[in-house]
Amino acid sequence: MLLGIDVGGTSTDGVLIHNGTMEKSVKKQHSGGGLTESILEVLDELLKERDAAGVRRLVISTTLVTNLLATRSGARTALILIPGRGLPFSFYKITPDTYFLQGNIDFRGKITEKTSEAEINTVIENIKENGIRHIAVAAKFSHRNRSLEQEVAGAIRERYPEAKVTLGSETADRLNFPRRAATAYYSAMTAPQWNEFASRVEEAIQRRGLTAPVEILKADGGTMPLAVSRQRPLETAYSGPAASTMGAVAISPGKENAVMIDIGGTTSDIALLIEGEPLHASRGACIDGRFTHIHALALRSLALGGDSAIKAWEGRVEIAAERLGPAACFGGPAATVTDAFNCHGSLGIGDAELSKSAVAELASTLNMAPRELAAAVVEQVTARLHALIEGMFREWENEPAYKVWEIVNRRSFKLERLIGIGGAAAMIVPLLAERMGVPFTVHRLAPVANALGAAVARPTLAVHLYADTQQKRFVIDQEGIEGPIPNHATFQLAGAEELALEHLARLAEKKGAGSYAKEARVELAEQFNMIRGWSRVGKIFQVRVQIAPGLINEFKGVGV
Amino acid sequence: MKPTGLLFFPAFDWAISPSHPEREERLLYTRDQIFEEGIMDLPQIREYQPQLASPRDIARVHFCVPSIERIATEAHLVSAGGAIVIGDAFMKGEIKNGFAIIRPPGHHAMTVAHGNRGFCNINNEAIMIEYLRRKYGLRRITIVDTDVHHGDGTQEIYYHDPDVLFISFHQDGRTLYPGSGFVEELGWPPAWGTTINIPLAPYTTDEGILYTIDKLILPLLEEFKPELVVNSAGQDNHYSDPLANMLFTAGGYAELNRRLAPHIAVLEGGYSVESALPYINLALIMAMAGIDSSNLREPDFDRSAFREAPGNMERLKKIAVLQLENFRRREEEQAAQMKKHGDFFSAQRRIYYDTDNISENQEIRQRLCKRCGSYRVIDSAAMHAGGERYRVLCFSISLYSCENCREEARTAYRDSIERALGNYDYIYLQDRAADEYFCFDCSSDDELEVGGQRPEIGGD
Ligand SMILES: [Zn+2]
Ligand SMILES: [Zn+2]
Repeated sequence: MLLGIDVGGTSTDGVLIHNGTMEKSVKKQHSGGGLTESILEVLDELLKERDAAGVRRLVISTTLVTNLLATRSGARTALILIPGRGLPFSFYKITPDTYFLQGNIDFRGKITEKTSEAEINTVIENIKENGIRHIAVAAKFSHRNRSLEQEVAGAIRERYPEAKVTLGSETADRLNFPRRAATAYYSAMTAPQWNEFASRVEEAIQRRGLTAPVEILKADGGTMPLAVSRQRPLETAYSGPAASTMGAVAISPGKENAVMIDIGGTTSDIALLIEGEPLHASRGACIDGRFTHIHALALRSLALGGDSAIKAWEGRVEIAAERLGPAACFGGPAATVTDAFNCHGSLGIGDAELSKSAVAELASTLNMAPRELAAAVVEQVTARLHALIEGMFREWENEPAYKVWEIVNRRSFKLERLIGIGGAAAMIVPLLAERMGVPFTVHRLAPVANALGAAVARPTLAVHLYADTQQKRFVIDQEGIEGPIPNHATFQLAGAEELALEHLARLAEKKGAGSYAKEARVELAEQFNMIRGWSRVGKIFQVRVQIAPGLINEFKGVGV
Repeated sequence: MKPTGLLFFPAFDWAISPSHPEREERLLYTRDQIFEEGIMDLPQIREYQPQLASPRDIARVHFCVPSIERIATEAHLVSAGGAIVIGDAFMKGEIKNGFAIIRPPGHHAMTVAHGNRGFCNINNEAIMIEYLRRKYGLRRITIVDTDVHHGDGTQEIYYHDPDVLFISFHQDGRTLYPGSGFVEELGWPPAWGTTINIPLAPYTTDEGILYTIDKLILPLLEEFKPELVVNSAGQDNHYSDPLANMLFTAGGYAELNRRLAPHIAVLEGGYSVESALPYINLALIMAMAGIDSSNLREPDFDRSAFREAPGNMERLKKIAVLQLENFRRREEEQAAQMKKHGDFFSAQRRIYYDTDNISENQEIRQRLCKRCGSYRVIDSAAMHAGGERYRVLCFSISLYSCENCREEARTAYRDSIERALGNYDYIYLQDRAADEYFCFDCSSDDELEVGGQRPEIGGD
């Protein structure tokens, strides 16, 4: 048995998959209890009259970190930065508890200015005096040389052993110091509550006799073991849309270029699938207005859903962003998008007569026929979604490119299918698909596709390697792996790719993703000859390999 | 406040040859530095992506021999297209100013292009400017060439055009490629005094260059009142550049751009790829975006190492006085020269293409008209590296030509096709007023119109 549980905005959903197909689903409206409680409630419901020992995997997607960030209720955290030369320090002051240190690392990982021991000690004393127990440390270019961050971490361990330290070089891979600093900061800030949650889940699972591995869904649509999430709690933020998108992958009929559209009560989320794989945001997740290095899906949201109220505004019909209550056909106070679609297509949702009278009442204030008003709402809803989707295509087509070849051969998005998910998808997606001239899928499992997505998402893992043959060193962005380049004089791109894949396989084994390591792909492979004078003095390589988001091997599809 | 537009196109898959200064590595460390700084995430910055310049965009400026396809490769089209995108964004009011960090460079490319000179095939700034003039009706433009090498290509393209004030400071031509850019080079009769050269002694520092900005270049801008100021932004004045001998710093570049406040900057040369370019490019971006750059300097920077020689300051003062005087009496001098030369002014010259080892002989005739920018006829012959000899005749009609001159030029183009068969390989007509460009192939007797209108650059 494989279990998936997704904590959403209004309900917690769970699915149970047995022998490759979905056997059971549960939907529990939130009742004001705690987050862990609602997860366990759904878990118990799923396991009712079943043997917990038969569970082979449990994946949880939760809003805990998202909520901590939204309510700014993480732990007070000090941020120690070593920005070196460049933008003014004031640009990096994420929190009033930001401390700056001297020291500079350049783009090749060379230290061009040392840190000052006295300055480090003063900063640690200050943090200690202020009673701050969580510290994030980030240096510019620390992903190419982590020694300055480690010096600071060493000093903290010695002078303030009670403090918990998070390093920029441990949580973030690519170029972009502000994103690295933000990632380390928000990771440190959310870690205490996340760890508490992780411990409670571990304990509850044990009590129920579950011995299966527990995985947590990440923002990129992949999973990681609960134990690993303790080092990287921030990656669990925004996993909700990732769950829905993986659900779309699970119910999509093939590896197509598709749009996943999740239409709920008041919002619509849209993601792109490219040849069946979810597209990632090129800039990383945005937290509190700041970009981070958290890999997240490229997602657009619109304040538009089945419960969105429709109103008369300056003689025209308008769709309001807010919800006044459920649709009129379900006893709500006023006409909603659902009521308009109900009338327009004679869908027989709820009490269709109530939809009719609510729409007619509004239409009379506008001197319109009810039919006309319903059609106008359908037009507005589909037009807005259509425009948003087209905007996403254009954005993908115009992603920054830095090679002649990429500019000359600009890609274009050829849409093959819409996949509807969420409560309101069944009424809206068919009309949207007709407007866009593409086939669509609204599966019977659409309402629990999020939990399904969590259940069947496979682990993801990425490794970024930077190698400089003149310095004869390579660095990997995880677990402090670095070392001398084997045969640096004859080291080539193929060797760099091999080295990265080797380390990925080793890390995957450690992180419970070993069975997917052979499916890892090279995502980026760059090489540059370093010429000084007129001769070559070395080569620089950058390679990124990853196990991309996908479905677990045990999943055999949901049928139609 | 509007953002600063930034178009970063490092052409990571293009090089003149593997170990050439114009190689893939050139903007690698610049990429690392500006991306590590998170520049593209700042609200002060808006990133743009290049589009390909169209054959018509090229034909508006150049006569490419034998054809546009043979001179401008895809890399050149993307680079020139990058400058156009930034120019467009500025003219549409999306950005307060913009910087195109593009390669390959362009400021040594002249009107007639037989091949690569000084690492340049086509002139990115001129292609952008002529595009903007055509589309937005701009007329008065100033180009300040801050590359260490004399911007001889841009100078030649605008040598006859009184509406473009071309200013270049550079290491003295007696000590550096391309060996031109002396104070006496002031423009042809109709445009005398709108080309201003400032040859600098080797080892000139920030102090000397900033003095020239304050005392000469800014007053020129003040009096000329251009609608658009373009910085042809080379970075090879830096103290670490391997191809030149100046002592300019990244901080100096930031200050220069703060004072000059160009609307658009377009990257030209600069070959200290690791020790200078990451810092200068960042300095320029910060200056244009109005960000304090006092925390930015090269790791090996030592302020005490750079002192301006007192004699040099005296020399710079003299140049400033002389060139301001020349500029201020330009209209008088233009009138006198026009009178002296009558209907036509003509000149001959040799042009050497160092990269491609081509020698070109040119005879230029500039029609002089009191009412308009009139037209030019260039008779050019060159032997290309492969041994092919080309002789071409080029008619270039000014965007601001009167009806008479335009008709005269078009008739002359037709006549020469009738008369001159056998003498020329190609005869070209560049009618900027009509935005029509023709190439007559004398061996096949075919006339081709250069088409390929680039699709309109869309907003978001
Ligand atoms: Zn240069
Ligand atoms: Zn005329």
